[in-house]
This record gives sequence, C-alpha cells and structure tokens, in this order.
Amino acid sequence: MSLNGAVPGASRQVSLALVAVISLVVAGGAIGATAAYFELRPSATHPGASAVTVTDDLGRTVTAPSNPSRVVALSPSIVDSLVRLGLRDRLVGVDCSSPAFGGLSADYDASQTAAWHLTSAMCVQVSPLNSEALVNLSPTLVLSSTIVSVSAVQEIANTLHIPVIMLQPVSVSGIVTDVQLLMSLFPTGSLGPTLVASMQRELGNVSVLDANLSYNDAQLPSLLLTYAVNPVGSTAPGYWTFGPGTFGQSLAELAGGSSISANVTIPWPELSGSQVLLAAPSLIVYGTGFGIDLTLYAQGPDWSSFTAVQSGHAYAIDSTLITEPGPTTVLVGLPDLIGLLHPSAHS
Amino acid sequence: MPAAGAPGVGDRLGRRRFGGWLLASTVATMAFLTLASFFVGTVPIPFRVVAAILLHQASNGAVFSSPCAGTVPAFRCAAFTAIVWDLRVPAVLLALIAGAALGLAGGTLQGVFRNPLADPYLFGLSAGAAVGAAGLYVFNIGLRESNITLPLFAFLGAVVTGAAILAIAGGRLGSVETLLLSGVALSYLLSGVLSLMLLYNPFGSLQVSFWLLGGLTGATWDRVGVAFGGLLVAGSLLVVASREVNVLQLGDEVALSLGVEVARVRTRLILLASLATGFAVAFTGVIGFVGLISPHIVRRIFGPDYRVVLPGSALVGGIFLLGASDLAQTILPQTVLPVGVLTAFAGAPFFLYLLQRKRRQGTGGR
Repeated sequence: MSLNGAVPGASRQVSLALVAVISLVVAGGAIGATAAYFELRPSATHPGASAVTVTDDLGRTVTAPSNPSRVVALSPSIVDSLVRLGLRDRLVGVDCSSPAFGGLSADYDASQTAAWHLTSAMCVQVSPLNSEALVNLSPTLVLSSTIVSVSAVQEIANTLHIPVIMLQPVSVSGIVTDVQLLMSLFPTGSLGPTLVASMQRELGNVSVLDANLSYNDAQLPSLLLTYAVNPVGSTAPGYWTFGPGTFGQSLAELAGGSSISANVTIPWPELSGSQVLLAAPSLIVYGTGFGIDLTLYAQGPDWSSFTAVQSGHAYAIDSTLITEPGPTTVLVGLPDLIGLLHPSAHS
Repeated sequence: MPAAGAPGVGDRLGRRRFGGWLLASTVATMAFLTLASFFVGTVPIPFRVVAAILLHQASNGAVFSSPCAGTVPAFRCAAFTAIVWDLRVPAVLLALIAGAALGLAGGTLQGVFRNPLADPYLFGLSAGAAVGAAGLYVFNIGLRESNITLPLFAFLGAVVTGAAILAIAGGRLGSVETLLLSGVALSYLLSGVLSLMLLYNPFGSLQVSFWLLGGLTGATWDRVGVAFGGLLVAGSLLVVASREVNVLQLGDEVALSLGVEVARVRTRLILLASLATGFAVAFTGVIGFVGLISPHIVRRIFGPDYRVVLPGSALVGGIFLLGASDLAQTILPQTVLPVGVLTAFAGAPFFLYLLQRKRRQGTGGR
C-alpha cells in the first residue's frame, strides 16, 4: 500500500478547502443549470384550454383542465364516483397490483371489474408506482388517493405538468364534497346533482334515525367493525379495524354504533382477541371479499368466545362498502350498516 | 537489482497496465449499462424510437426533428418522449449517483473502521437518514420543497447517527469493535424510532412505507441535479482524503506517529460518509448492501489502496445499483419491484459469505 502524501500538513488543509470550494461551485452550477432548464421548459398543459382551480383533500391548490378527456383514477372509490357521474368514457387507467401479484383483482372485486368494464390494459401498478405505465396512458388528469406514494405522483405532476388531484375523504360527508369537486371539473348533466341529492338524503336519514333512537349515546350498541383478520398461528393474530380520524370510524358513528376502537391511539389498529373480549362488543360487523370470509374470521383469536358471536350478532358486510370512501358506501354501505345496528329503527 | 522473488520494475509496470485495463473495462461496462438502461422499462418502446428520442432531446431538436415519424402516432410519441427523457434518463442517472454515493460511503466506513462488514445500511447511517427523511412525511414539514428538505433531513439524520456512534464510543475511539457494535445497536434503536413515528400519523406512515421500499420511480431531472451536487461535494472530499484512509489501515498508533490526528480524521470521514448516504437515501429510500458489496469487489480486483478503492467503489456501486434497477423492472413482466429487494437478494448471501470467511480467518478484516 502506498503512503504517498500520508502526512497531513498546512498544504493538505488548503487543498481540502480548495476541493470543497470547487465542489460547491460545480455542484451549485449543476443544480442551478438543472433548475434553469426546467424553468425554460414549456408547460405541457394546453394553452388556451379553460382551466379550473380546486383545493383537494390534502389542501393542495391544483389547476386542472376543464372537462379533461383522459383520466387516470388511482382508487376504487374514485372510479365509483366517476362511473356514477356518467364519466366512465373518460377513464383510461386505474390502480392495481402488478400482474404478477394479482393485477386488477387485488384492488377491485369481480363485480366492480365487471360493472365498471375495467381491463388489465388500464392497470397502473401503485406500489411501487409504475410511473411509465401511468405516463403511457397519456392522462390529462390524475385523480389519486393516498394509497399511492404522494411524493412520486407529485414529482410526475411537477415534471410532466400532469395535474394530480388527491381525493381522500376522512369522513362520510367528505365523499359528498369530493363528488361536488368532480362536478366542478366535468359537465355531468343531471347525474351530478341527482347523485349529490341522493347522498344528502341518506345522510339526512341518519339525522332522522338519531332522533328516532329511543336510547342515548351511552346505550348505543358497542361495535367491532373489522375489515380483515390475522388468524391464530399467524405472526400477529388479531382483527383489523378503524381508529380515530379515519373514514371507517366516521361510518361507524354515523350508523349509530359505539366503536370499541374509538379511543385507541392508532388510526388503523389491529385488536387482539383479549382486547375484543375485554371490550365485549354487542355487535360485530366483519368485511368480506378479496379472499376474506367467515371461515377465516372463525380462525381469529377468541372468535367463538365473543359475546356477539355467541348471541348471533356477528354480521358480514361487503368490505368494499366499509373501506372505500365512494358514493356506493353512502348509498348502500351506510344504510346496510344502519340496518345491521338498528334493525327496528331502520325499518 | 531486485531480490529474488521480489517484484521487478517489469512486474510493477505489467500490474499497473493490467490495472489500467481493468479500470477501462469497468468504465466501459458502466457506459454500456447506462446506454442499455435507457432501453429498459415496463413500457415496451421500439429501439429505434428510444434512440431517436434520446438524440432529439440531447441535441435540443437539432437531430430527428420528429423522432417517432412513421413509427407511432403523435400522442403516443409525446408519451414515449416523456417516458424516455423525463422518467428513464433521470432514473438511470439517479441510480448511478445513488449507487456511487452508497459505494463511496461503504468504502469509507470499511476503511475508517478497518472492518469489511461496515456499511451505511448495517451501520445505522441509512436508518438515521431514513428517520430524518421520515420526519418530513410524519410531521408534514416542508414536503412541498422536498427536493431540498428531503436530502437535508436525511443528511441530518445520518450525521446525528454518525455523531452518536462516535459519542457512544467515547474515549474508546481506538476500539473498532466498540464503534461497529455501537452502529449496529443504533441501527436497531433507529428502526424502533421509525416504527414509533409510523404509528403517529396514518397518512405519513403509509407514505413513509412507500418511500422505505426503496426505488427510483420518483427520479426527476431536478432531483438528479441535487443528488449530483451532494455526491460531488462528498465524493471529491472523500477521494482527496483517501490517503488518510490508507494510513488508518496501519492502526491508530502508527497513524498517530505519522502525524495523522486519528480522531479528527475519523470524525470528518464519518460526516462525509453520512453526507453521501443522506443524499442517496433521500431520493431512493433505504437500499441495502450496495455499500457493502462495492468496496469488496474493488479490493478484490484492484487491491487495498484506498486511493483506488474509494473512486472504484463509486463506479462499482453505480453499476450495481443500476443493474439492480434494470432487473427490478424486467424480472417480472409489466412489474416494478422495489430495487431494495434485488440488492438484498444479492447482498444478504454476500454478507453471510463474508461472515463465514471472517470467522475462518479468526480476526478482523483489512
């Protein structure tokens, strides 16, 4: 091993400082040149096209073309909204897993795929985001939820000037707001106002239900609303549910349930069998679909010991109705949940 | 006249010439892989179209005024141009830069701690950078200016980790094992801190988990510029300091007797390795084992001189990460795998091999 120049001295300090200064100057030049290059690049948005400025669910102000013709929707609930607004023909891409890991069927159940005419050609792998697949669809607008890396999508928006609107309601009323946001971007004829009116009617029914309930808050049925289970024998057996500040919690409250996970500190907690036993919910509503069914829940920790199970008050619900914050959840999921929690009041 | 068995001038010249050829072939490999990578992706684009787009964009339109003419419709051409020029080229460059930074950091740490198992990933610097960068997502600080704030926070996280390792070692700076074990312990601690942070904010935690997967999908030209700036500063200072790393190999006492302020040099080198790691981790997530493997390959081919090992590790690190990135996009059809998965598949067996070899040798590494 050569030791040439091993002994440091004053000249060495000077040369280090010189290298640092030169590096900083060149680095600054590189960064500045790159920034300048991008400042000079023409925008990919079409000049003269009318535009709409909206504030999305993450508080971002986004200017998008009015009536965009090619839309990529990266969430089943957004696809739900677009289809109900009569905008299926604008849809060119949707979120999915890679073809090697389930493709469309990992994010959409068979009935959704069939009803919304989704094809594998529309697939955009979202984790990690397949940017090439997204850009290859030539979208003029991307509607995304936070099931996607916001940072990666944001970089695409900045670099390629494709507007990205994030739609991630954390409450049931937020779904109505998001539909109204979409109505400001697209001409929907009578479909938009009709859809909003229908959803508001359902939310109004909740108020009527509240008034009709003969018991006070303390007497509301205690509820475990679970959407997935890790069976006994898995690494961490338990029941996945919704914590504070989540859409699912808002749904449970609106339906007149007193969620046993309302006071946990984690947004999407996994409750152990002991925790559920201790809370002793009088009702359990469990989401099924995507390979999860009662057989799997029955293998969950202490399932057969739960009071609700023993008394026959454990009910299945399509998990898309409790996990996807779209219009179908307001129009179908909420009434269904109310029907399970308050059969007499609902009828 | 040289003694019997001692290498003669001819041998030395021959070895130097051989080394030159090896270096030239390494650079040629990198150049070929870089060019080839522009044609690799999940969207199949005809070879001719990719080449025309590259020439058209690089010449600012002087060559191939319409690169897709007669091949694909105009709107497809716009998408292909964006894919090649705005996604693939920055991703390729970022892979080279991040790989080089991780290789440099790994080579430096192995030299500083005289241990072949030292690596920014195993050592906790990557975890420190990850905690720093995750803070942005979890506490929603400066995300809009992420091109600046991400590397800054990642660098701070890595530097604090490096400083903590030195502080924990305290008066036992001479004990390489203490420093290395401190790094491993901190790495575990930081993983715990990261898990705690992920529980704090649901939106942030999901976003951090995407970022932690490690990947180049967020590569853009401006990120390439910032990462290149970081690599240039850290890299040039580290290469200049490579002679001091050489002296450290002789042991602290010899180094001190040669006038090297061991503690000071070690601190400076760790800070520079943290800087390189921070810039790499900020834009690619936590990608393991690049810093472990690259210096070993260089030492095996070019010998233990750190004046060669450090720049060589940068070259090999870039090649390794770019190769892993290409594989991550092609190993399964229409699928992007997290690039960290590929480097782990290559790195973990290599790490175990090193452990076995070290055990057989019975002592520390170089």
